[in-house]
Amino acid sequence: MDLKQELESLKDEVIAQINNAQDLEGLNKIRVEFLGKKGKLKSILKTLGKLSPEERKEIGQIANKLKDTLEQLIKEKETVLKEKALEQQLKNEQLDITLPSKWIKAGSSHPVISTLIEITEIFKSMGFSVKEGPEIEDEKYNFDMLNIPKDHPARDMQDTFFLNNGKVLRTHTSPVQIRTMLKQKPPISIVAPGRVYRKDADPTHSPMFHQIEGLLVDKNVTFKDLKGVLQIFLESVFGKDIPIRFRPSYFPFTEPSAEVDIGCTVCGGEGCRVCKGTGWLEILGCGMVDPNVFKAVNIDPDIYSGFAFGLGIERIAMLKYRITDIRLLFTNDIRFNKQFKGIR
Amino acid sequence: MKAPYSWIKEFLDIDLPAEKVAEKLNETGIETTVSKFGEYIPNIITVKILDVKKHPEKDKLFICKATDGTKEYEVITGASNVEEGKIAVLAKEGAVIQGKEIKPVNFGSFKSEGMFLSLEELGIEESSEGILLLPDDVSVGVDANDVLDLGKDDIFEIEITPNRGDALSIRGLAREIGAIFGIKRKEKFPLVSIAEEIPVNIEALTDKVYRYRGIIVKDVHVKESPWDIQLKLIKSGHSPINNIVDITNYILLQEGQPLHAFDLSKIKGKIIIRNAKDGEKIETLDGEEKELSSADIVIADEEKPLAIAGVIGGNNSKIEENTTEILLEAAVFDNISVRKTAKRLAINTDSSYRFERGVDIENLPNAQDKALELILKTAGGKALGEKDLYTKPYTPKEVKLKEITTKRILGELISKDESAEILNRLEIPTKTVEDGVISKIPAFRALDLEREIDLVEEVGRVKGFNNLKTTYPSVSIEGFDKSDEYLFQLRTRDFFKDNGLYEVVTYTFVSEDIYNIFDLPVPEIRIENYLLKIQSVMRDNLAVSLVGVLQENMKFQNKDLSIFEISSTFFKDFEEIRAGILLSGKFIDGFYYKKGKEEFSTSEKWDFLKAKGIFDSYFSLLGIEVEYKISELPYLHPYQSADIYVDEKKIGYIGKIHPKKASTLKVPQDTFLGELKLRYISRDIEDTRHPEDYLYEIYKNKPAVVFKELPKFPAVKRDLAFVVDETLELDKLIKELKRSSKLIEEVKLFDIYFIGEGKKSVAFNLTFRDENKSLSDEEVNEIVKNIVDNLKTKFKGLQLREG
Repeated sequence: MDLKQELESLKDEVIAQINNAQDLEGLNKIRVEFLGKKGKLKSILKTLGKLSPEERKEIGQIANKLKDTLEQLIKEKETVLKEKALEQQLKNEQLDITLPSKWIKAGSSHPVISTLIEITEIFKSMGFSVKEGPEIEDEKYNFDMLNIPKDHPARDMQDTFFLNNGKVLRTHTSPVQIRTMLKQKPPISIVAPGRVYRKDADPTHSPMFHQIEGLLVDKNVTFKDLKGVLQIFLESVFGKDIPIRFRPSYFPFTEPSAEVDIGCTVCGGEGCRVCKGTGWLEILGCGMVDPNVFKAVNIDPDIYSGFAFGLGIERIAMLKYRITDIRLLFTNDIRFNKQFKGIR
Repeated sequence: MKAPYSWIKEFLDIDLPAEKVAEKLNETGIETTVSKFGEYIPNIITVKILDVKKHPEKDKLFICKATDGTKEYEVITGASNVEEGKIAVLAKEGAVIQGKEIKPVNFGSFKSEGMFLSLEELGIEESSEGILLLPDDVSVGVDANDVLDLGKDDIFEIEITPNRGDALSIRGLAREIGAIFGIKRKEKFPLVSIAEEIPVNIEALTDKVYRYRGIIVKDVHVKESPWDIQLKLIKSGHSPINNIVDITNYILLQEGQPLHAFDLSKIKGKIIIRNAKDGEKIETLDGEEKELSSADIVIADEEKPLAIAGVIGGNNSKIEENTTEILLEAAVFDNISVRKTAKRLAINTDSSYRFERGVDIENLPNAQDKALELILKTAGGKALGEKDLYTKPYTPKEVKLKEITTKRILGELISKDESAEILNRLEIPTKTVEDGVISKIPAFRALDLEREIDLVEEVGRVKGFNNLKTTYPSVSIEGFDKSDEYLFQLRTRDFFKDNGLYEVVTYTFVSEDIYNIFDLPVPEIRIENYLLKIQSVMRDNLAVSLVGVLQENMKFQNKDLSIFEISSTFFKDFEEIRAGILLSGKFIDGFYYKKGKEEFSTSEKWDFLKAKGIFDSYFSLLGIEVEYKISELPYLHPYQSADIYVDEKKIGYIGKIHPKKASTLKVPQDTFLGELKLRYISRDIEDTRHPEDYLYEIYKNKPAVVFKELPKFPAVKRDLAFVVDETLELDKLIKELKRSSKLIEEVKLFDIYFIGEGKKSVAFNLTFRDENKSLSDEEVNEIVKNIVDNLKTKFKGLQLREG
């Protein structure tokens, strides 16, 4: 057999083998076996020396062409096999993407704190600053300077916890008004969110609860302004169409004083158990700062006027989330707390 | 207070529906609800009981004969107050009582043709004892619906604010309603004559009695009251007792003037109004013995106290069936004194309630004479003597309301004419002057209306706040404060929430037991009048509350708990807002997975380093470097707990619960507790300190972030391993490494291996960089050599591991 024929049959053999190659490893073997340094093509070419220069040239050309052809074929096959191998690898990496994930899930807010923050943010965005005070208070700030004299029936409105250090647990956030006005001269516009305490415990009362207090003092602040601010606030929380009414009331630290009702959010004003059939829900207390309070903090009531308001957070949170028993809020049964996903 | 509309109408010509009246009362400041008095019940009549016999077969039952004047009924009843000769209400066949139809029923071998009714069965009282017995002046055989006014009258339920004692009577409500609707109240003056036969000897030894008027009435007959008096009392929620007592209650309700009647025969010598003696005792009308103090005022005779002034009468001089002569007292006592006594003795009566809120001193004789008129009419007798101690008669205070003030406070000018009109309607005599009005404050509003602002409210409330338009304040923004502390706290809260912790809210008062279990001293601040002993200690840390939450959840088998709270803790002069965390069990409740060589679990349980990691992540958020030192908190694991410091300032701790405490509390051993001191809240208004050992202060005062050029020259990395003592805290080694050359950019621990014999091998990845040039291998070798030499001198027994 002459070299030409040998090369020709080598070509057929290699092509057949390339076609049959199943994987990259097999393909590599073929490359080494035929095209490697000690491969079959090399060993055939070693015999070239025995040929005449013309033959050598001709065969040499044929051999080189063959080499190029084969390398090209191997390369093509390699691409195909690589693709196949990758496909296989991806297949092996198949994962049930519906499996539960492995990462911490964000926790959730307590509905009362969430409501407190939501309300604080509304007032903050209206330009009120946030102020806080201690929860253990002097009777002076909690009562006396708020025009609630000792032995006045108004003290009965708030059943007080007395402490062994002669102080009290604040019964409302109103002492923050006093603390602020003692330190800062008008204009003052603050809200004071915080915990407060009253000696009371039943399905609608908790001995510890939350309030937010608002105070705005400047020249020419009027009751109509108070109505405007509270209307915007109540509409922000309960929606644009919420009915609002102002009922005259009495608080020692405001004069005139009013209680604000909203249309019952449960029955829409028809009358139900929550609103005790009245169609209205008492939501906050407010009024114009009493001149006695101004005098106690050395602000001239003839120059300045102001309004104050206060509201209980639990009631609003309970209305918002339809919570029926206030005690649930402080038991911290995690099955309760985990329900409040997605709130601020 | 319950007020029948029909009673109010005796003093006011008004026709409006009760609902309309209630609505207006609410809108002008008196909280009012309205309901019908009872409901119409068919087939109930009044009958006279002719005969009462014990049931021969059934214990506790009586067989009665009763007549409606034409027909006789046999009625069996269990009521022990059933009495021959009395008039009762009979439910005949066909009547529906509390949802049940009345039919003839056999009790043993006797048949009952109906049922005698109690107030409860009539739907008037929540619960009552015995059947309703009506007085003689009620006709027999008439529809009981008419007698009882069932389903017709409207009852107002009034709740006043503490400043409106004047509205605590039919008189006051008539005045208020009259003012609202512009109707003039009618007054019916009593017609009585009091003889001056017997001198009334009254002496006041205290200045806490402002007026005391006593009237002596003799030859009275104590018996049941006429039905119209009884019915009004029942409608007002009172139980009739006897004519004298009923009339005092009647006048209290109608006029707002508390009255008291003493049995004159039981009084020895003169009446003395004096301070009680310390330890002096009195048995009150409700049969309880009360010990008095010298701050209390008593009405006494020359031997003994007869009544606690303004609060309650004494048993020793009360009106009884055989009483024939009385002293009728009408007085006004100091409101604060009455309040103190009532509060201390925990007695709240209709009388003390009114005295505390103010009683109309000028209406006293009128009210008392009305009572006397009724007594003489219903109990007979003669008024034989009177004395009125009234040393400082009331002089009305003049208060001026300037027109401009209504504008300044309400935002709307109310003309002086309109103000005067409103105030006059309220029976506050008012005249207009050039720039406003001047009111003479009558006695019934003396406590409430003292200043101009009080008149602003008065005018505003009657006009109606709902009728004021809304405006928006135009306020100077001077003094605006962006509320950094609040924002810092919000950010902290968001961090814990975002990192998988659930927010809880716990009571700030706890039990001292938890402190004993934790081996901590019980905090000194306590609630004296606590509701529950287990809620009486003001906590000084959050851990005591958070373990309580875990215990609560263990009840429901929820032992995987990751919670946080941002709340207050209490100290002698200040409060601290802290962030507390409790981590227990798993924080990812995952699954186990195996596929070929691949094998993993997705569950994650809390351990010390993970718990600490939560805090470290928070410090990273704030950009604060901290240091951990072993903690000595007694409720934590002695080797798995750390105090957290920033520049030697202790700002918190993190640790595993002590296994013994976990067992005692029955909570999982793998429970981790941590707290961070966020903010300082001063209690003293003068205290403007900002103590530095709080994260807010540290965060606020930390140097501002300034951009640094990115490195221009490459870093060189080297791995170094050392053999050190097993107990060496590696943070010390790392700090020393960082200190040992300026060119060290980063030290990263990557391997710890306990060799045994008290030694461990620790390996670090060091990064070196010079900002100004590329470091050569030789230079780095030299640095490493110096570092190792330095460490060898600092840490005894440290060796470099070669290879």
